Amino acid sequence: MAKKPDPVPVSLFIPRSYLTTEGNKTGSWRFLRPRYEEKTAPCSAACPAAEDIGKIEMLAAQGLFKDAWEAILRENPFPGICGRVCFHPCEDVCNRGSFDEAVAIHVLERFLANRARRGVFTPDLKRLAPKRQTVAVVGAGPAGLSAAYFLTLLGYRADVFEAADEAGGVLRWGIPLYRLPLAILQEEIRRIEETGVRIQTGNPISQRDINTFIEGHDALFIACGHGRSAQMGVPGEGLPGVQDGLTFLREIREGTISSLGGQAAVIGGGNAAVDVARSIIRLGGSALIVYRRRRRDMPAFGEEIAMALDEGVELRELLAPVAIRDSDGGLVVEVQPMQIAGTDTDGRAHIEPKGKKTEEIRVDRLFTAVGERPGEAWYEPPTEGNGVLRLSHCVLQQRASGPVVYGGDLTNATKSVAHAVASGKEAAMALDTFLAEGIEAVQPRLAACRVGEGPALSMEIYMHGPRSERSFHVVTSDEINTAYFQFDPRVRQPRLLREERVRSFGEVNLRISANLAIREAERCFNCGLCNQCDNCYLFCPDLAVKKDSGPLGRHIDYDYCKGCGVCAVECPRNAMILEEEAYEEGD
Amino acid sequence: MKKVIEGSQGVAEAVRLARVNVISAYPITPQTHIVETLSGFCSDGTLDARFLKVESEHSALAALIGAASSGVRTFTATSSQGLALMHELLHWASGARLPIVMAEVNRALGPGWNIWTDQTDSLAQRDTGWIQLYCEDGQETLDTTLQAFALAEQVNLPVMVVLDAFFLSHTYEPVDIPEQEAVDRFLPPFAPRFQLDTANPCAFGSMVTPDTYMEMRRSIAAGMEAALELLPEVEERFAGIFGRRWAAIEPVRCDDAEIILVTSGTVTGTCRELIGDLREKGEKVGLLKVKLFRPFPVEAIRRVLAPARKIAVIDRNFSFGASGIFAQEIRAALCNTPGHPPVFGFVAGIGGRDVTKDVLEGIYRQTVESDRPEREDLWIGLKEVPDALEHP
Repeated sequence: MAKKPDPVPVSLFIPRSYLTTEGNKTGSWRFLRPRYEEKTAPCSAACPAAEDIGKIEMLAAQGLFKDAWEAILRENPFPGICGRVCFHPCEDVCNRGSFDEAVAIHVLERFLANRARRGVFTPDLKRLAPKRQTVAVVGAGPAGLSAAYFLTLLGYRADVFEAADEAGGVLRWGIPLYRLPLAILQEEIRRIEETGVRIQTGNPISQRDINTFIEGHDALFIACGHGRSAQMGVPGEGLPGVQDGLTFLREIREGTISSLGGQAAVIGGGNAAVDVARSIIRLGGSALIVYRRRRRDMPAFGEEIAMALDEGVELRELLAPVAIRDSDGGLVVEVQPMQIAGTDTDGRAHIEPKGKKTEEIRVDRLFTAVGERPGEAWYEPPTEGNGVLRLSHCVLQQRASGPVVYGGDLTNATKSVAHAVASGKEAAMALDTFLAEGIEAVQPRLAACRVGEGPALSMEIYMHGPRSERSFHVVTSDEINTAYFQFDPRVRQPRLLREERVRSFGEVNLRISANLAIREAERCFNCGLCNQCDNCYLFCPDLAVKKDSGPLGRHIDYDYCKGCGVCAVECPRNAMILEEEAYEEGD
Repeated sequence: MKKVIEGSQGVAEAVRLARVNVISAYPITPQTHIVETLSGFCSDGTLDARFLKVESEHSALAALIGAASSGVRTFTATSSQGLALMHELLHWASGARLPIVMAEVNRALGPGWNIWTDQTDSLAQRDTGWIQLYCEDGQETLDTTLQAFALAEQVNLPVMVVLDAFFLSHTYEPVDIPEQEAVDRFLPPFAPRFQLDTANPCAFGSMVTPDTYMEMRRSIAAGMEAALELLPEVEERFAGIFGRRWAAIEPVRCDDAEIILVTSGTVTGTCRELIGDLREKGEKVGLLKVKLFRPFPVEAIRRVLAPARKIAVIDRNFSFGASGIFAQEIRAALCNTPGHPPVFGFVAGIGGRDVTKDVLEGIYRQTVESDRPEREDLWIGLKEVPDALEHP
């Protein structure tokens, strides 16, 4: 073995420093300042109930199902109901829609409600200190129950007066069981009662009760809904065999109708018409929807129409009934073919008769579903006048004895459960502000609670929760850094087979598993919200993003942030903003 | 144990035996089987090293700079465009005095896209402060890789082990793979003279003013000079354990040679045969194999070449606007020797074209027949091509 060489001292003179570089405050070089600024997700602005959807999906993606469910409850007392019957305008504006497919928000809401039900979760919700005033709510439909729920959270005693034997309104009597099982409704009403809301059923309220503020309440919310069907104004409307759709649906829910044979026609194009037609199929009959405009003009939700047609409902478009006659134990409906002629001022297609020749349709019975009206004339809200405020989902009237708010279907242009919730929530906010600060404060206070451009209003913002820190800016799809997302198909809503659907009133939509729900929730971009992905922390070349124990979990050390903007650019979800540094005069 | 393996696999075996801690590489063309074999060793547990698959050669070397700063043994391999992409960090590695070892497979640079052998990629990095060792065959490549770690760690400079594409990297030859125990005796664990240490925090590579920078550069130069002195010691120690000896330069029958051919890389093997043939015919010809290109062993080369009548340098590389790069260096080594022989700079085998014994004999004949070179660069075997691009 060779002799080990003597060590040779090789020159090694290298730059090495034991001094900290922290004395060099490179933050003084900055002319752009990055800042954490959470923004508004388009879905949450499109949700009439202003649910914090981006946050809900973030929590769900982490498996924090109870927290996600509570986030819904902060804005909407009906996750189980809306997870079934909502027309989900949130999904239409989902930024993920321009990447691959919108997040299945509706399916996830239903999942979270189911999960809460299975886990028997008790919600932990913020409540304000009790107040001495009381509010009377007329009508235990979705608007009235929502108002009572939010008023209770705001510290009021809320008494709900319901004419029917059971609470729920249209949820109980109008929406068929295959869309909303009774147990779900009962449970969500029970949870509202558990917050302290008192519901008196079988207690119709008269106009005189209103004038006395129902024995001395400090404020009123009137949400009696549209309980009466509108008339077509066609000869023969009063014949036996002609029935209004709302009554028919109510009779099914009451259990007085269990089968129905023969051929029926349903006049109308709204959700009630589709519900009637699909119920007829389930009772054993055949259903034909006759609508004076086109399918695309129908106010009913597109998904409902598609499922109705799938189940065997027929649809005839551009036919307007002009007369109904008796014929051999059945009915003959004389219909006038119509054609489209431009657009009405409200944006709907204008129709006019096409030729003079009418057509006859033979049926065994006929249902009308051409719109609803308030049950009593005095339900109608005042239109103009002193002390009347038109809000986005309500009308507030200042009376000598106190404030009265009209809401729900009485004031909403779109008759949906989510809009009813919006109305009840707005009423609660308006009454609270009115009682505390007077009528002048109402509109500015509500404007401060809007989500994005509105009109959706957030109770969390109203109660000064963390959501009130966000900017109104609604995140657009080009503000998302899609480099951080991969194409991933949307979860499919599992459904009963058509053969099973048409035989029973069993719920059509089925549940999804927790792992599918987490995966779907992970698809959410969480537009404008920080989900602690750490990109800013990892990319900062100056180590100027510091973790802390604050609500955001991080802050920027402006002593060393040079303002390169890498953090803001690499933020996948636009939860950061880059602003020009404001130097003071003389700097 | 002798095995028939590729030159690439020989490098990988040496890296395994050197018990390297961190390997970082970018795995697509112009990469070779070196890192493919090593990733196999890492995944099957044969080698307990961290294998970093990075997104570019620039990152490959950057990652090793970080790893080596923490005082561990590091290795990467690359070629042509990949080496070019590392350029900035080649300077950083030597300036930071990090003993990183790299296998550099000589491949031609694009365009035109060509992955055959050509030395221009590594020679273009001659001023980056890396020690460069050009290998002739599979055994030398394996042995040199082991020696590279020993040398790098003694002088605190990075080492490039250079091997010809295909002729060496992809050619199967019988190679003796040493036993781990013997390698451990030759190459003990790396004992860094400095390293990142959280117990004693400091910053390396910080800003240096004109007051100090020049001395730091001189220190790198001193490290290169030390490498020149230490390589024979490393060789000696290696020979003592393994019985094989290579050298910075190897003169073959140069003592009485009138004409000396200068080669590097695999051309040397072909040239050895030619010299044997010519000597049998009575020609006074010799061969000088140059293995160590940086630091350039000027003194030793001058001693061998100065007495000859003519020198013919064979360059498988080219510096545009100048000449073959080895020829430049040889001319520079001789220029201060009064009455030194003329240097003929031949350019052959560019982009993987064969340099056969006939080609080399042609070079020899041309040197014999000319008193002085007609030009600084004498291109061998050029074909007729159109003068200008014909527009369609």
